[in-house]
Amino acid sequence: MIARRLIPMLTLLGWLVSTWPVAAQQGSLEASLWQTYKSRFLDASGRIVDNGNGGISHSEGQGYGMLLAFFANSQSDFEQIWSFTKTELMVRDDGLAAWKWDMATEPHVSDLNNASDGDLLIAYALAMAGAAWDRQDYLASAAALARAILNNVVVERGGRVLLLPAAEGFDVGERPDGPVINPSYWIFEALPVMAVLAPSDQWSRLGEEGIALLEMMKFGPRNLPAEWVSLARQPKPAEGFGAEFGYNAIRIPLYLLRAETGHFALVRRLQEAMTIDGAPAIINLANGEAKERLDDPGYDFVNHILACVSDGKSLPSAARELTSDLYYPATLHLLGYAYVVEKHPSCL
Amino acid sequence: MSLKLTTLMIAATVSAGLFVAQSNEPTIPPFWLPYQEANGDGERSTPRLAAGEGPDLPALEGVARDIQAMRQTPPKTERLAQAAPIVPFQISQAGQGTIAPGTSEAEVSADQPPAEVDETALRYFAAQGDTARLAAEIARLRQLYPNWTPPADPLAVPPNTDRQLEEMWQLYAQGRYAEVRKAIVERQAANPEWEPPADLLDRLGIAEARSRLVNASELKQYQTVIAVGAANPPLLNCSEVDVLWRVAEAFANTDRQQRAIDAYSYILTNCTDPAERLATVQKAAAILPYGLVLPLLALEKPPEDGAGEFDSIRDDLARRFVAQANEEPSLEIAPEYVDRLKTSATADGPASDALLLAWYYLRRDNADEAAVWFRRAREREDGADPSQGLALALLEQGKPAEAEAVLYSWREASEDATAAYLAATANYLALDPSPKIDEGVLTRMARAVIAERYAPSAQQFGWYARAFDQPQTAAQWFKTALEWAPDDEPSAYGLALTRLQLNDRTGFLELQEKWAKQSARIADLAKTAAGQAEARSSAAVRPDEPAQRDQTASRAAPGTVRAVRSSTSAPAAVAVTTVRRSGCASRVDLSRLSAGAALQRGWCLMELNRPLEAAESFGAALSTSNRSISEDAAYGQSLAYLRLGLTDRAAVAATRAPMRSERARELQASILSDRAIQAFQSDRYREALLYLDQRAQVQQEPVDLMVLRAYSYLNLNRPYDALRLFEAAAATGNRDASRGLADAKTAVGLD
Repeated sequence: MIARRLIPMLTLLGWLVSTWPVAAQQGSLEASLWQTYKSRFLDASGRIVDNGNGGISHSEGQGYGMLLAFFANSQSDFEQIWSFTKTELMVRDDGLAAWKWDMATEPHVSDLNNASDGDLLIAYALAMAGAAWDRQDYLASAAALARAILNNVVVERGGRVLLLPAAEGFDVGERPDGPVINPSYWIFEALPVMAVLAPSDQWSRLGEEGIALLEMMKFGPRNLPAEWVSLARQPKPAEGFGAEFGYNAIRIPLYLLRAETGHFALVRRLQEAMTIDGAPAIINLANGEAKERLDDPGYDFVNHILACVSDGKSLPSAARELTSDLYYPATLHLLGYAYVVEKHPSCL
Repeated sequence: MSLKLTTLMIAATVSAGLFVAQSNEPTIPPFWLPYQEANGDGERSTPRLAAGEGPDLPALEGVARDIQAMRQTPPKTERLAQAAPIVPFQISQAGQGTIAPGTSEAEVSADQPPAEVDETALRYFAAQGDTARLAAEIARLRQLYPNWTPPADPLAVPPNTDRQLEEMWQLYAQGRYAEVRKAIVERQAANPEWEPPADLLDRLGIAEARSRLVNASELKQYQTVIAVGAANPPLLNCSEVDVLWRVAEAFANTDRQQRAIDAYSYILTNCTDPAERLATVQKAAAILPYGLVLPLLALEKPPEDGAGEFDSIRDDLARRFVAQANEEPSLEIAPEYVDRLKTSATADGPASDALLLAWYYLRRDNADEAAVWFRRAREREDGADPSQGLALALLEQGKPAEAEAVLYSWREASEDATAAYLAATANYLALDPSPKIDEGVLTRMARAVIAERYAPSAQQFGWYARAFDQPQTAAQWFKTALEWAPDDEPSAYGLALTRLQLNDRTGFLELQEKWAKQSARIADLAKTAAGQAEARSSAAVRPDEPAQRDQTASRAAPGTVRAVRSSTSAPAAVAVTTVRRSGCASRVDLSRLSAGAALQRGWCLMELNRPLEAAESFGAALSTSNRSISEDAAYGQSLAYLRLGLTDRAAVAATRAPMRSERARELQASILSDRAIQAFQSDRYREALLYLDQRAQVQQEPVDLMVLRAYSYLNLNRPYDALRLFEAAAATGNRDASRGLADAKTAVGLD
């Protein structure tokens, strides 16, 4: 089935890349920025090193790395990162990627569970790269992964189409408060591409449901979503996780912007609620106070985008350099930067 | 997905030209290959599949085909003829379809002189002294170019003049595959004219596939292992024996044992490395059942110098087989292996050899032989395990005194040792006629019984005391037994009998009232006017119900010590009273038991009044798809937890399998009474009433619970409600109710 669809899919993806307002493009990331990022976080073996987390690697990092390599139009780097991802993480029987890889453990995959956002990022990057560089092998892998995501972690619960954070441990019956979701795992911009790879109306419903949930999940005085949310009944912060708007959640406004979903008011509301004294912060939902101020410029980049898009302010020169030394904010910085280059070049 | 569809997919794949081996694309193993494999099984009846799934194991079928395939390849040079076979192990029927292009390519190239075989990698591996990969590369090239002759000296292969390519090979030889990938694409970007050598791409794809397969294997992702293997035939030959082992393991662990055997057979038929061949047999024996390993042993090379190829591992095989037979008492293994183990155990083999043998005989009801080997093991190395085994054998032999003596010092070594020791005490005391037991031994037995609150032995102490005309002591023991096991009818009977003998009329009536409904013989005692005289006269005699005594006294494993449940805590009064010779006191790895066996063991442990272990055993039986077993198991587990007083767990257990409605009601009623009683005892009277109300909806409230309800009202300051209930309950003759009635009257001022 998949094989026979490859050629039309290729055409379709080619069309996607050129015309779809959402689809990101290669070449939107300057070589020098990518070079800096690589020198800090890419190991020769092809793994993206999360230096803020004890030097482990994960499917999310590999997916981000592949996506950024695609934005930088660097086929060779993409190939290098994919080689590692494929041989080390694409080992699960269900076709999803194992999420956690640790140099210090044997086997190196120290948690075989998947992380659904990592899977989405990898499939998305493979699809974009495969279409742009005419690589059927990438497209075949992307299609297989998209199908595995659809079959294993896109589920319908209580009338809603949801993205389970992983294949194990979050669903109804696996936790007393299941299903539990992580709203930041919705990579909105990837969903239309997934629908091309593994056709199903579930993808568009998943996107709509993601937006609806973000509109609905208003916890504490700042009306923010929690990092982990139980949907067993009315949405509420899940048991056993800190009730906070945390590191994961901080990327939601950026994801919404990148996907051009048009929900600007939602982005604005979230961004204002997560900003305290001019900087984004980890928010304690119970009292709405900052638990931790995030001073790294990578976290702040989304504010520059908003300032540009709504007030026409051009990007400050400091934000044009990659100054983050940590993998996560540096990644957010480049994702934001590539978006500005592509969609709002006048801000530069 | 049907097979038709899969075949179509293969056709589509091949015609699209995407996954043919010649493709210049580095092929990513496509995910549908495993599904072909998985779904192809059993759908099409070809000789190979029939061989794979059929009962009569012509395991060499696949091999024969492989050999035929070899014959079809053109004549080779002498060097090649000696070399390892070039036909890879074929993972699946469906796999053949995908392998075909590669094979035909090999055949085609065989007809033509090998244009240019890239021998660069040979030089790298030789330079690094990496003989394994050198051999793998030679095998791979042979597979591709059947009439190619490997260079005599790989080091003499001239270096590439192409410096960049040279660097790529170097990275490849160092296993830095991601960097080779990067370098290739980088160069292509810089120089669009440049084509990477097909050889390098092929090899890179295979190397990555090997890494991925090994990673998946380490993580027990067997579908992935098989899928990657199926997509990469070059990984499945004698130069990749480790990969073949992993593929075989993946098959064995996904219920495709015949395919595992095919893989092991492939190695033993085609591959020559002596150490790898031995390891293959050992791996097969570790993972496959005895009956499937034997045909593999037949692939042993004919003996040279009188020594068989597998001789050096036969002792090890014997240990594995006997151990397997110990787990599975119905398994019959060739006497040759038992004899071999005997030879080893008699000579200077480790104590564990004797122990294996001893358990082997014990499980086969040969206590005499078992005792011999347990003693031998103890001589070598005394310990809890052989002592416990010996004690069990002695019990089987009807020698509980010796069993007690052997196990005494090891009784606390493990739960099983404790259980076996307690069983020995019960059987010792129950001997008929009652033996004179040394006072020191009696004292130490009593201490152990009290420490473990072991009711069956307490009961036997009662009978033993009666046998020596010590009714006071007997009454104390029976009473103790009843405290530990309130439902134990034989203890109640013993106590009733002894109280009559002691002329304790009040005590007797109290018992009689409580037990008359459940025990005809206790009721009968009261009816007999001459009951007292009878009781007295029978003081030195064994109790007059042979059924009970015989079972306890019979020489047997501890499983025969029977505890009878009354209907108070286990309302269904499960009638599982069959005496099981195998017993359940010895230790077992629950995960190895079948659901049926685990269920039986659960009931057996319940009889031994070991509810905690019983609950575990029932738990193991729950995981079956057999509905009737899982229902019984859930029921049993629930009863076990009830007996332990773990009401909440009992409630959870009750929901673990659908149950017949009367059983479900009984359990629910028991659980709710326990909860009510617990609530009452913790002074939570409202809660107690709540549970009682819930209970009343499933089952009529018995008098004792009516009394509980009435006392709850009283404590909640509702004396009139209490009064009404006490009156009703007292009318049945219940003494607690009469007492309560008086209390309630006082409370309302009627006194």
